[in-house]
Amino acid sequence: MEQKPKAYMNPYLAGFLLGLVLLSAFFITGRGLGASGAAKSVVIETIGSVAPEYAKENSFYASFFATGDGRPMRNWLVYLTLGVLGGAFFSGFLSGRAGFKIDKGVRITNATRLIFAVAGGFLFGVGSQFGRGCTSGAALSGMAVLSTAGFITVIAIFGTGYAIAYFFRKLWIN
Amino acid sequence: MGPLIPQGYVNSDLNLFFAFVIGLGFGYVLEQGGFSNSKKLAGVFYGYDFVVLRVFFTAALTAAIGLLLFSYMGLVEYDMLYVNPTFVKAAIVGGIIMGFGFILGGYCPGTSMVGAVIGKIDAMFFVVGLMGGVFFFGSFYETFKPLYEADNLGGILVYDSLGVDRDWFVFIFGLIALAAFIITRKIEDRINGVELLPKGLFHPSYRMPFFMMLFLAALNLYLPQSPRAKWNETDAKTLLGEAAAEVHYAMIDEVAYKLLHESENDLMLVDVRPAEDFQRFALPGAKNLPLKEVLGQKAGKLLDDSNKKVVIYSYSSTDADQAWMLLRREGHKDIRVLKGGLNGFFTEFFVENHQTQSRNEKEQFDTRFRERAMKAFKTGEAAEKIISKGKPVTTIVDIEPPKAGKGGC
Repeated sequence: MEQKPKAYMNPYLAGFLLGLVLLSAFFITGRGLGASGAAKSVVIETIGSVAPEYAKENSFYASFFATGDGRPMRNWLVYLTLGVLGGAFFSGFLSGRAGFKIDKGVRITNATRLIFAVAGGFLFGVGSQFGRGCTSGAALSGMAVLSTAGFITVIAIFGTGYAIAYFFRKLWIN
Repeated sequence: MGPLIPQGYVNSDLNLFFAFVIGLGFGYVLEQGGFSNSKKLAGVFYGYDFVVLRVFFTAALTAAIGLLLFSYMGLVEYDMLYVNPTFVKAAIVGGIIMGFGFILGGYCPGTSMVGAVIGKIDAMFFVVGLMGGVFFFGSFYETFKPLYEADNLGGILVYDSLGVDRDWFVFIFGLIALAAFIITRKIEDRINGVELLPKGLFHPSYRMPFFMMLFLAALNLYLPQSPRAKWNETDAKTLLGEAAAEVHYAMIDEVAYKLLHESENDLMLVDVRPAEDFQRFALPGAKNLPLKEVLGQKAGKLLDDSNKKVVIYSYSSTDADQAWMLLRREGHKDIRVLKGGLNGFFTEFFVENHQTQSRNEKEQFDTRFRERAMKAFKTGEAAEKIISKGKPVTTIVDIEPPKAGKGGC
């Protein structure tokens, strides 16, 4: 370890700054942040170009192509996510944290970690569709405007997390 | 004033640019906060690292209080903010599935992208899974639809659902967060061993932003109810000056001329009479904004969306003058009042025998113009002219002379 990564920012300061980012998003565009929306756009764009016939028949995709300009990638959330990627890379690079790595508990192998990562992503993909947004879009932005949906989503995500954490403890702790 | 883009202060073409810039900030802060590390994120569920809780609740509180204060200062129109609709069942089911996803995957969608871009391989796998999950949902959309769309309660707000006052809710929310910060710190210390970390109630100690927020939440609680001072509000003195100088009047001839010459018509006529009167007759192309609703949201939208010069009218000038005064006080610019109102308009263009002998050239010109305009309005030519242009006109009602007994002062 010649080059030690810089310490993470103080969480309260990070939270405060994140709050200001969220506030400016609301002030400028009238809406909050989001991340799962971009994943949805990528999926819809892909299905639309790979299997246009299927996209037309399936109402989930069809409604996307029928409304708007038919270009799911030209979307607010997609550009937001491009910004997220840029900002995160900039930050990670500056703080000496960029580099290939797998974070996991010590008791599992890399392969196990990756399998569970895919599974977790899959569940988040399904859940964020039901919840009309993920931790950023539904929960955080929802809480900022004091929407009931935001608070329900937060409680459901973290409540479930705590309820089942014990059963998956091997993934993360000794 | 805000939100800037929905209110038209900023060109909506810049929307995507702002999305990118806001994203930069979002990504930067998440990475700096440690959200690119799944082990750190999962710590919130096992007690060894509560960074998620700290960042998440501080951010939500900052934004919530910020929005309330912005709204208080008139910087943001709270009603125009997007409030995600509440579908109780779908929100709970989605949240539970996401809870499983969080424990298994160690990320949420935003943080996985932050992790993936700096080379976290587990984050990249998470993103792949995420796309798969969306695809799965899309493929079985018809099956999920009844649950997905059940019980739409619309954009309801949490303090209404709980039946408490908004500002108190935010304040108590702040207290709960504060308590959570202290308790989780104790838990963290016990699990990690206290010696490892410096002492202090709030370690990592960054009390400033947090106490500032709590102070703001308390301030928000004790501010007097909504004077809603507008940043651009016109003061009484300026208003008096403008009213006394009578520069805010649009002359009947100008309005008539522009109604007859569509290409030169840069006016938006706003009728402030009650809706029933407006339904019966109105000037061509006019939009109805009853005096009672002149301070409502609809009014702001109507006037802000238009880049035309606004001319208000009522039967006489009285109601229109009142509306003008109110709107100017709200800070709207480029608003004038039709001098003489509809009554004046009718007298000029529908009653023939009021003309006097014209003496000079200017008056003769005026008279000729009025005769022509009168002909055009009486035959309905004016209205047709506007229709035939196919311009978007909300209401076109043929002009009729006022019925006896109806009308202004």
